[in-house]
Amino acid sequence: MSAVGTILKENLWTNNPIFMQVLGICSALAVTNLLTNTMVMTIGVTFVTAMSSLTVSLIRQFVPRKVRMIVQTLIIAFYVIIVDILLKAYAPDISRQLGPYVGLIITNCIIMGRLEAFAQSNPPLLSTWDGMTAGFGYMAVLLVIAFVRELLGFGSLFGVRIMPSGFVPWTIMVTAPSAFFLLGIIIWVGKTIMNREGAPA
Amino acid sequence: MNRQGLIYTIVFTFVVSFVFVLLLAVADQQTQARVLQNQTIARQRAILSALSLPAESVEEVQEQYAAVEQLAVEDEILYRVETGRGALVAKEFAGAGLWGTISGVIGVTEGLDRVTGIEIIDQNETPGLGARIDEEWFKRQLAGERIREGTIRVGGTGDGDYDYENGKIDAITGATRTSESMQKIIKAEIDQLEQLIGGGS
Amino acid sequence: MSAAPVLNPFSLFFASIFTSNILLANFLGMCSFISISKDGKSSNGLGFAVTVVLGITSAVNWAVLHFVLIPLQLEYLRYIVFIITIAATVQILEMIIDRVSQALYMSLGIFLPLITVNCAILGVSLFIDIRAYTFVQSVIYGVGSGLGWWLAIAALSAIRKKTDKSPVPAGLKGPGITMITIGFMAMAFMGFSGMLQVQ
Repeated sequence: MSAVGTILKENLWTNNPIFMQVLGICSALAVTNLLTNTMVMTIGVTFVTAMSSLTVSLIRQFVPRKVRMIVQTLIIAFYVIIVDILLKAYAPDISRQLGPYVGLIITNCIIMGRLEAFAQSNPPLLSTWDGMTAGFGYMAVLLVIAFVRELLGFGSLFGVRIMPSGFVPWTIMVTAPSAFFLLGIIIWVGKTIMNREGAPA
Repeated sequence: MNRQGLIYTIVFTFVVSFVFVLLLAVADQQTQARVLQNQTIARQRAILSALSLPAESVEEVQEQYAAVEQLAVEDEILYRVETGRGALVAKEFAGAGLWGTISGVIGVTEGLDRVTGIEIIDQNETPGLGARIDEEWFKRQLAGERIREGTIRVGGTGDGDYDYENGKIDAITGATRTSESMQKIIKAEIDQLEQLIGGGS
Repeated sequence: MSAAPVLNPFSLFFASIFTSNILLANFLGMCSFISISKDGKSSNGLGFAVTVVLGITSAVNWAVLHFVLIPLQLEYLRYIVFIITIAATVQILEMIIDRVSQALYMSLGIFLPLITVNCAILGVSLFIDIRAYTFVQSVIYGVGSGLGWWLAIAALSAIRKKTDKSPVPAGLKGPGITMITIGFMAMAFMGFSGMLQVQ
């Protein structure tokens, strides 16, 4: 399998940042109560991860070792602020709903993890792809959680009412604990399938 | 040049920081006007909503808002509009919720016999419980509700009391404190409006 | 941003520990929460460290926000500035502790590097900004959040000691069952919201 394909498979499945590496959960769970917010958030994370990977990879020859982490943090913060500014200007309602979680993308361990593990020692295009696919892996898991939470908690998907009017929403899905439970279940399913395939647990 | 040397490190960090902060300053500048407009439109939309004059798009809001006149009465700003049903007055409020300030707009008929509506601009109540004051079903209870004995009672629980003559709306199940806060806020605002409208125009 | 809220300091303190627990209700500070809770002693050490750092950084970041960023209209740089102050605070704290007391260093100091990337620290500062807390409210919220985080990690490590010995299905072992446990803890903490007095 080509490098491109391997990276895709790894970031989406075998080394999925959320259920395999259990990284970047903080900013994840808070927004999963609504699909629209999750979509915006994960697109933001994917953008930041991809662009940061690209930037770090481009300047990797020039960065002195001592300030490597600071520079990486600066780059990540830069792209996050760009996302924040764009949201405030073009989607103010969503920006308000996401609240501090956009800024918290900076501390999202996934991004720093990808920069350290890949971007700082690999060519730009491949690094960008690595960053993007890590974002996709993140997106996939969160969308699943959000799908369940919004459908059962609000009776809608992406704000469009789906459940019949007699449906009584499951309040627990709107509150914090449901996100933990669903994530636990996803980890369970993911790991069980992987154990059966014989891949290392 | 020694890439790991002290001078290079310092210069590099400075240059990188400078470039990124400069780009951010530009991005912020470019979007400032737009962000400001968003905030203005959001406020105007909230005021119109509290006056039961719904407007969605930016054009609709600007069109409808043209009929609203802003009056300064004592230290407060009132928003008055003449409609076929008589004059309506709206006022922004900020009151103590359970976990923070609940701010919004409340609208009444000038004769203070009915509330025309309420719009929540900002709140930090418990998601899924107190935060439901921002949901349509809750706010809709106040669109045209009769003011009895100088207040609206928030009590009992249900899916929404749409009897607009009884001077009462349903509280939110499981959010007693927030519902009580809303009652306090509404009463305080009606009291204050009595004072301001009586003394003003 | 709205005007500074009128909040009962007790309610705020109580809320930040229990019902608005920075971890169980706001999902912040998870990474180190999951990895360190395996061991009881480290959990207490980290919890203590988090509380101290949160108390200090909420005060410092409030000051920076209100005396530097807002007057100079540099609010859009707040993410970068907050992280820098957090990193600097942790660094200075580590140096001081190392000089002052070896014992304190062993129980607190070694966790400090872990805290710099803890999203709860940045998260608290961001919440303080969004909710426009006053200085006193910020410190109360900061210390309270730290204590809440500490409480959560202490409780979780105690529970994990037991679950580690229980027959957990293979797929759930480790992060899976930890997530579900945290979910139950979150539900339990939500139950505290009925205890509050009316302001």
